[in-house]
Amino acid sequence: MKKSNYIFLYNNEFIDLLNLIKLLIKKRIIPLNIKNDKYQANLFEETLKLDYEQDDNIINEIIKASSKEVFNTIYKIFLSNKDDKEIIIYYFLLQSFKYKNKIFYMRNLCGVNEALKITKYVEHETHKFKGFLRFKELKGNILYAEIEPENNILFFVSKHFQRRLKNEYWIIEDKKRNLLSIYDKNKFFLTSTENFTLMQKELSECEEDVLELWKSFYKTIAIKERTNERCRMNFMPKKYWKYIIEMSDEIEKNS
Amino acid sequence: MDLKEKLTILADSAKYDASCSSSGSNRKSNGIGNTAVAGICHSFSADGRCISLLKILLTNCCIYDCKYCLNRRTNNIKRATFTSLEICSITMNFYRRNYIEGLFISSGIIKSPDYTMNLIIDAISLLRNKYHFGGYIHAKAIPGASDVLIKKLGLLVDRLSANVELPTEEGLKLLAPNKESDKVDKIMNYVNKNKSNKFVPAGQSTQMIIGATSENDLDIMTKSSKLYENHKLKRVFYSAYIPVNKDNLLPTLDKPPLLREHRLYQADWLLRYYNFKVDEILDKDNPNFNLLLDPKANWALKHLEEFPKEINTCSYLDLLKIPGIGVTSAKRIISSRKYFTIDFKDLKKMGIVLKRAKYFITCNKKYFTSENMFNKKIIERNLILEETIEKNTNIEQLTLFK
Repeated sequence: MKKSNYIFLYNNEFIDLLNLIKLLIKKRIIPLNIKNDKYQANLFEETLKLDYEQDDNIINEIIKASSKEVFNTIYKIFLSNKDDKEIIIYYFLLQSFKYKNKIFYMRNLCGVNEALKITKYVEHETHKFKGFLRFKELKGNILYAEIEPENNILFFVSKHFQRRLKNEYWIIEDKKRNLLSIYDKNKFFLTSTENFTLMQKELSECEEDVLELWKSFYKTIAIKERTNERCRMNFMPKKYWKYIIEMSDEIEKNS
Repeated sequence: MDLKEKLTILADSAKYDASCSSSGSNRKSNGIGNTAVAGICHSFSADGRCISLLKILLTNCCIYDCKYCLNRRTNNIKRATFTSLEICSITMNFYRRNYIEGLFISSGIIKSPDYTMNLIIDAISLLRNKYHFGGYIHAKAIPGASDVLIKKLGLLVDRLSANVELPTEEGLKLLAPNKESDKVDKIMNYVNKNKSNKFVPAGQSTQMIIGATSENDLDIMTKSSKLYENHKLKRVFYSAYIPVNKDNLLPTLDKPPLLREHRLYQADWLLRYYNFKVDEILDKDNPNFNLLLDPKANWALKHLEEFPKEINTCSYLDLLKIPGIGVTSAKRIISSRKYFTIDFKDLKKMGIVLKRAKYFITCNKKYFTSENMFNKKIIERNLILEETIEKNTNIEQLTLFK
């Protein structure tokens, strides 16, 4: 394998990244970095766009050459907000072709610990949002939630609510990425807010009352003698408060 | 009385129960909802405790007069009782909006244990059968209720539990004269014998109040250990006593004994996951936990002859005895060392926290610093220092509340 001084570009999609990595490994190139094609290179950096295949079958190839667990891992890394995720995926894949599932125990290898840490981070945030996400009922019996997670976890969160609220219509909007997940009591699909506009977001008649009921429950359930702000903040960081509706009074109080 | 006021009264009365877990069940339903084996926390209240379930009493009316309890008969407080319909409506409205993972319902005793149990059963069957609610339900069994009713309730809920409340019979006689511990025992026995995928799938738990009576930590842990052994309890919760009533029989405290509660949770973990026995961590000469050091570190310092342990060769159970090494870390070490020899640098890469552990291990026969630093006094001083810093900067208690 030979080191290259180029930053290789791919077309922003996961499939593109995988096809590029396949080509790089085939050509025995260790890239300096891999970035999507919106990347703004600085004066000292050189970028290169290779003519890689556009092959959807790459997913099966990768699973065959490594394992399903490895594939799930790199997909989660791809959905993370980490800057260097592409090159981390490259190293992780390269080594997992050799070690298969043993890779998960070989944190001493280059980049493996980093990769597994990011995976955990994405999984952890997914788990948090299974709890922190709040639906509001809109007119027409549609449940609507807004989120702003650090990582792009809309798909994983949607899978959870597909099972849990299977007899409801719901929509989850990732405000950070302008993505929507729309569920029609059967399947959910992800789309960009450019393709789909929510015509009305008017709340249903009982919504305010339910919210008030919940807020008063939230306040009541705390034991005064045990007040522990730090502990609360630890488990429920402030960055998530914006959409956790029972926290709206706290936000006002603090601002 | 409007619904909001009712909810405030009946949540306020229910909040002293420490249990919040929504884990251990894998329920699926055709209606709304399911449960997550790992449990899900939906919010955290200002005291840092997790809010997972709608924690309420069916009623705060009670024929009993337990000294420590806010709802005791002789207290002059506002009383309220939910109808089944109200309980269903709040639960469904909260659940659909993803405020909660399910319902946790307990109750004061009206008329008789059986009468009260029937009210709870009515509410929950309505929720399960008419509203097709498939989320998590934890119900308190009323001590003294008949087996038929316990069976009926157990088939509807995920977790059924009865509170021990006080660790010893004497304590109970003193503060809760209407409660008898053998009635609680009877429920636990029944649940344990009949537990299945359909009957109380998430198992049972209980709670003890800490610091209202004169028991020492050894009494408490002995009781817990018996409960785990005899009734296969999933959890024992410890609840630092908070004075809500004035009574000559009750102690006066400035602050609830939170650190003591924390130590009990740590020790509880040692019993359940680390293969420790009560008599290893406490004995007649030292019947209470060291408030300066966590129970495992405290034990390790007393058994320094067993250390340092070699990370690359010692057994899984030995790894678990190292302060600062938990179940995840121990498993990670075991599966990694098959493939390479671990040194200190690798431990860090593996995400293993060395803050406490480093004093008690060798990696590839090397100690982290000069070997003459392996000395009880030095280690003890450093550990206490670390713990104090930790406490001042963060977490303190409740990190175990899952």
